[in-house]
Amino acid sequence: MADPMSCEEATDLLALEAVGALEPADRELVERHLATCAPCTHAAAEYADLTSLLPAALDLVPPPARLRRQLMAQVYAEATAPSRPSWWRRLVAAIPAGRPFTAIGAVAVVAAIVVGIYAVAGRNAASTSVTYTVSGTTATGTLSVDTTARQAVLTVKGLSALPSSEVYEVWLIPPHGAPKGAAFLSPGLGGGPWTAVMGGSMAGYTSIAATVEPAGGSPTPSNTEVLSGQLTVS
Amino acid sequence: MHLSDDDIVRSISAHSPEGIEALYDRYGGLAHTVALRILSDRGAAEDVVQESFLAVWRRGSTFQPGRGSLRSWICTIVRNRAIDRLRGDRHRTRLDSPIEGESIEPTVSDPWAAVAAELSAEEVRKALAELPAEQRQTIELAYYGGFSQSEIATKMEVPLGTVKGRVRIALDKLRASLADRMETSWPTQ
Repeated sequence: MADPMSCEEATDLLALEAVGALEPADRELVERHLATCAPCTHAAAEYADLTSLLPAALDLVPPPARLRRQLMAQVYAEATAPSRPSWWRRLVAAIPAGRPFTAIGAVAVVAAIVVGIYAVAGRNAASTSVTYTVSGTTATGTLSVDTTARQAVLTVKGLSALPSSEVYEVWLIPPHGAPKGAAFLSPGLGGGPWTAVMGGSMAGYTSIAATVEPAGGSPTPSNTEVLSGQLTVS
Repeated sequence: MHLSDDDIVRSISAHSPEGIEALYDRYGGLAHTVALRILSDRGAAEDVVQESFLAVWRRGSTFQPGRGSLRSWICTIVRNRAIDRLRGDRHRTRLDSPIEGESIEPTVSDPWAAVAAELSAEEVRKALAELPAEQRQTIELAYYGGFSQSEIATKMEVPLGTVKGRVRIALDKLRASLADRMETSWPTQ
């Protein structure tokens, strides 16, 4: 079908499209025109880039550090998952993005982790999993690292419940440089062990620790360590 | 190591987690700011940001360099999802979503990354403030409110053609004003 639109008409609509106000019916006409008009395609890119500068007028509000950790934990978990994900990974993936530790999510995560721990332990014989011990004044636990799947599960007993304004934040500590906030511990059901799942390689870190931090986490650990451990084979 | 936007696109195209990490580190703050401005709710804004970057990760890079910069691409993804959330239409698939298109390898650098980095928030605010109130309001209703041309016409009680004209004139003025502030010509690709 011939393109019934002139470049002048298209430019008006491209401006509307750039700010997201183009009507669906007009969008089809614009797309048809752009398919054969390089100058208007260029103009569309310019308008799109211009409107992307509109947020520059806003005061930048950085996302909380935990959002990056949640995102990358999910990405690394999916990157290392087999083509058909194990049932417990699919269960974790089914938890709404950004809300992995809501009440419903916590049930699914904890259930998945408990099974996941056994799965990891069962693969020890294949030398894909390494277990480390962690301890504190009242807490003890283990860190199971699946080197093949680049995923680690920390389970801890003996931690006290926290008010909603605080979290247990897990830190991976390299021999040199700042500790990296890796995850938050989630309480087990019925007083069961606390758990945290971490994605990515553990290589390059020599210690692990957990501290009490404000909800949302902290950029650096405070002086409230509740447990720690060396990443050497126990 | 500093990655260019082209490097980031290649990395995402190769389905590398490091590509998503770099994309988030560069544009996560912008994405969160846009989502929060639209939704005025921290939890919802965080959900939208995470969903947007996960969508890029899962579908791979469908960034088309001829249709704008990497910055505008991720801005559009986040804005569309935030608007869908705002309008209670979270599961609608947008036909205009830039993540639905075909993947194309990047061939040009992004001149706007440098422009955006050079422009201060104050300069962009001033450029927007120079627009007549009705033009500025039209832009804001569309970009941050998610209103279509016909909805804006109804809301502002003006003809459809007036909305169309206001948007184009406003963007053209904004472009000229920002280019002046940069003391440079409008970048071309």
